[in-house]
Amino acid sequence: MYTPVTPVQKIAHYLVVTLLIIGAAAVLVPIVFMITASAMPAGDILAMPYRWIPRGFHVENFVRAIRGNDASFIFLRNLLNSFIVASVVTLTTVLLSSITGYGLAKFKFRGRYLVFLMIMATMMIPFEAIMIPLYLVAVQLHIQNSYVGLTLPFLVNAFGVFLMRQYLLTYPQEYLDAARIDGAGEIWIFRTVVLPNCIPVIATLSVITFRTQWDTLLWPLLISQSEKMKTVPLYIVKFAAEKYTDEGAMMAVALLASIPVVILFLTMSKYFIGGAAVYSSRKG
Amino acid sequence: MRGGIERKMARWGVAFVMPAIVFFTLFSFYPIVSAFLTSLTSRKILSLLKPDFVGFRNYGYLLSSSDFWNSIRATAVFTLGTFIPLLIFSLVIAFFITGMKRGQRSMQLAYYSPAILSSVVAAVIWLSILDPRGLANQFLNTLLGIQGVDHHWLASSVMVQFSTILVYFWKYIGYFVIIFITGLASIPPSVYEAATIDGASRWQSFGRITLPLLRPTIAFVSIMSMLQCLKTFSTQYLFTQSGAPGAPINVITLNIYNTGIRDHLIGRASAMSIILFVIMLGFTAVQLRVSGGDKVSY
Repeated sequence: MYTPVTPVQKIAHYLVVTLLIIGAAAVLVPIVFMITASAMPAGDILAMPYRWIPRGFHVENFVRAIRGNDASFIFLRNLLNSFIVASVVTLTTVLLSSITGYGLAKFKFRGRYLVFLMIMATMMIPFEAIMIPLYLVAVQLHIQNSYVGLTLPFLVNAFGVFLMRQYLLTYPQEYLDAARIDGAGEIWIFRTVVLPNCIPVIATLSVITFRTQWDTLLWPLLISQSEKMKTVPLYIVKFAAEKYTDEGAMMAVALLASIPVVILFLTMSKYFIGGAAVYSSRKG
Repeated sequence: MRGGIERKMARWGVAFVMPAIVFFTLFSFYPIVSAFLTSLTSRKILSLLKPDFVGFRNYGYLLSSSDFWNSIRATAVFTLGTFIPLLIFSLVIAFFITGMKRGQRSMQLAYYSPAILSSVVAAVIWLSILDPRGLANQFLNTLLGIQGVDHHWLASSVMVQFSTILVYFWKYIGYFVIIFITGLASIPPSVYEAATIDGASRWQSFGRITLPLLRPTIAFVSIMSMLQCLKTFSTQYLFTQSGAPGAPINVITLNIYNTGIRDHLIGRASAMSIILFVIMLGFTAVQLRVSGGDKVSY
């Protein structure tokens, strides 16, 4: 915390705060634009100057967004697909990351550090570089246009393993030993002794994973050709290209697609922000 | 007896990590090896013929292809044009926010809010704003005191590059602000107090204390944002799908996608993938060197 003393410092301080507020307002402008434009007819959105307060609520935008230009209501199906894919990936990432992190942190076996390094090394392989071989595999396995295909490459990731391992390294060994002396099985120990103590870090990992998966465009673009198996980002791309002129419906789609992550953020903002901070501690 | 227990525990450890080993072998290591092997062939997606082994001819083709060099140029422009402003602005904003007496939290939330949205949603919002009749022209014209000029945000080859940078900058600024705020919070206040007692001004303490102590965070943020920028795809894809000129923003990931999936030239696309991988590996190695030998002591 910094306390301005002299008049010059005070002026400088208020100047800085003013600039920060202007910057924050500028950052918020496109979001406010999305919300207001979603309630306006197309003519009003492109009116000069832009009227920031909608005259009434142009509900047709949302009807159009949900029905689609071809009245197929496929958006709802795509929304459901995104939910299913993001939820499944989140669930498996949490499960596999925690058992792997637990194995690496609390058991001694030969090659343990090598396995850890090997998993960390996968962070350096960008998905963009392996998407084509993965696509060819998916074609051979006939899992295009399926939930299996959409989720398979993302069941667990190195970051999740890293996060769980670092967290469990500090978990007291005595608790595990005590449970073992009482004759508890390893799986039981993991489920009832270890997991409940990981809730905060699991929450962080879940939020990050769900949020990332909700955003994924490239992989579904490769393997979901049928309209029924598309996810929300694909729907948005299609909708934007096919009816570029109707800005109102476009903003309504953008708004509807954002509601789930906004709700997630509002209820779990602690873990969202925590997630950004966790990334920064990834090194060191 | 004791050895028996240890062996049993070791077996449990292996059992716990085994699913992950299988997963990463199948979905990370196998594909990257496969990408490399495919890059040495003339494989096409739909062809039933066995692909020919062509050695490094795909790489040779790429290195003499103006289309590929254009992608390298587009990626380099985007990466440098995005991560340098991101780094500077997020550091300065974070520094100023931590100096505020009130409202730090709401300020953080305001700057972070675009990071919640999907990249596709971000691109779509900006597509509307950058429309010839949209907000961007209105705003810039008001600022410049002129009327009715179209700045071709999505049409001119220079402006469309700037527009993709703008979208990305807007989306990620808050994310890096938060990382810097975390980094700044780890500097003990006593260091600043000592400096103030010694008569240091605020700018002096920023230059002499904050910057040096923040070096690991700065190194981390620059490499992280650089790697992210090299992989950029969504904004460019959506912009070109909606009618923006392709060549200026044909970044390497977009080129891989189009070459492999649209043109079915799997061998050539794989060669590009491997080049992208090697570039990113190089930057990661730099990161490990920079932050590895960099233990800060207070």
